[in-house]
Amino acid sequence: MLDRLAKYRWQYLMILPSVVLLFLFSYIPMVGIQVAFKDFHIGSTIWNSPWIGFENFAFLRDDQFWVVVKNTLYIAVLKFAVGFPAPILLALLINEVRHSGFKRFVQSVSYLPHFFSWIVVAYILQSMLTLDGGLVNQFIGNLGGDPIFFLGSTEWFRPMIVASGLWKEVGWNTILYLAAITTIDPQLYEAAKVEGAGKLGQMRHITLPGMLPTISIVLILSMPSLIAVGMDQIYPLMNPANQPVADVLDTYILRSGLQQGYFSPATAIGLLSSVISLALVLGTNRMARKINGEGLW
Amino acid sequence: MKLSASDRISQLLIIVLLLLLCVSVIYPFMYMLAISLNEGSDAAKGGVYLLPRQFTLYNYEVVLGNSVIQHAYLITIARTIIGTAIGLFITLLAAFGLSYRMMPLRGAILGYVLITMLFNGGLIPFYIQLYDLSLVNTFWVYILPSAFSAWNMFVMMKFIQGIPEALVESAEMDGATPFRVLYSVIVPLSKPMLAAIGLFTGVMHWNDWFAGAFFVSDQNLIPVQTFLQQLLSAQDISTVLGSNNNVEALARGTAMAKVTLMSIKMATVMVSAIPILCVYPFLQRYFVKGVLIGSVKG
Repeated sequence: MLDRLAKYRWQYLMILPSVVLLFLFSYIPMVGIQVAFKDFHIGSTIWNSPWIGFENFAFLRDDQFWVVVKNTLYIAVLKFAVGFPAPILLALLINEVRHSGFKRFVQSVSYLPHFFSWIVVAYILQSMLTLDGGLVNQFIGNLGGDPIFFLGSTEWFRPMIVASGLWKEVGWNTILYLAAITTIDPQLYEAAKVEGAGKLGQMRHITLPGMLPTISIVLILSMPSLIAVGMDQIYPLMNPANQPVADVLDTYILRSGLQQGYFSPATAIGLLSSVISLALVLGTNRMARKINGEGLW
Repeated sequence: MKLSASDRISQLLIIVLLLLLCVSVIYPFMYMLAISLNEGSDAAKGGVYLLPRQFTLYNYEVVLGNSVIQHAYLITIARTIIGTAIGLFITLLAAFGLSYRMMPLRGAILGYVLITMLFNGGLIPFYIQLYDLSLVNTFWVYILPSAFSAWNMFVMMKFIQGIPEALVESAEMDGATPFRVLYSVIVPLSKPMLAAIGLFTGVMHWNDWFAGAFFVSDQNLIPVQTFLQQLLSAQDISTVLGSNNNVEALARGTAMAKVTLMSIKMATVMVSAIPILCVYPFLQRYFVKGVLIGSVKG
């Protein structure tokens, strides 16, 4: 055994930095979750803080917390309901384009927003939607309507998040689907034509089933980020006016933890959302296994 | 092949829909560019939609003359270069090491990596750890925590395992150490993959505002994206105009009325976006390749 270990000494040396980094930045924070059950303040260490049981979970009796949970689920479900099927539809559309130059052009353009930060997206929204001189309000004004305070509105916040999320990622998310479509055997289409299937029929009976394994993998992989509804996206757009609907678990953790210094309760909330995420991944994987015969692992 | 009438109509419909999508992507950038190249007070009157009406480079002079922005730019460039180089190096080493299927403990190490993809300690314990390591408020908080990427490691490993083993074995026969094999056999054959992952890592660094906003309080350490995030909610232009090196430009009398908060914001955001817009067309195929390497299930 020792011989075999020694034979691979260089390989172990290569892996070592990564193992150390994971230990420092992933595993120690996992151990740090115990802060959720302790009375921790910055300056003391995780280890010498006193245990206080479930006191940090008092937020469960806080109405504000449940508002935040509702907001999180609301946005998560909306984003998923729109964001999951949209790239599948877009891939089907792009696939139908006959002119290959135009097809490549659409692909290139639609991938582009993926490479900009959510901050840039927030600026775009601001330039389009702001009250004083925003493009959309200019149009509304020209049509004789009253300007709408999109950026500080509780009604417009969710549509804004869903639409900008779609704008940024829909093109990029077609890549895997388009790749899956190219692996479909062309003979299947020929056979379908002989059987008299039209374009829509071919789409439903050949293209979609051909994409199904990819769809299920994407579904599983999207689960961990479902509850993490995109603080990157939401935080820059949140303000006191839209906070009643915009405040989600992650922004709540950020505010109470890093900004107000309630480290322990914020950790407790984080633990809860990590556990939910994990359950979602494992649950979806099991479901995919049942439906597809195989999951991700 | 002749198209039937209904086919032609559906083609037309699809093309129109997709063109609309393209416009929705491109137009916001053209609009922001137009505003940033227009005199601020004039743009505020409305009506600038596609091209600047009162053309000026003044907004850019003010933005590029600001010492905070200049410094933020340096930080962004530094973290993008250093972060990408270190990230690629460390992750590639691990991927190559773990590509040896017969290595004892390989399964255990892979499991150790996989767990971190499924579960994490959350933001606060992570922050406490950064604090304990004295990384808070240092440049290295941008580099070290993200130096190893489990996802990229699996993509690289899969790619390396696709390289014919005979090549590695013949090099080993010649007495090459694994480091030598990595350098002279694996790296030359992995260039497209390294380019793709390097680009993803670089874009991630370029776009990250979060670490700068929450793990750093020293204004001398914030990257451009964090500066943008602070500017987003600014109520007046003092954020940008204070600490400006370009005093003489500012002092040019009436010129002050030519900038508004919006025109300055648009110029700043364009300054952060233009580099990506410029390199994107040339590097796009690498990005796509990168995604596809990662998606092959193994």
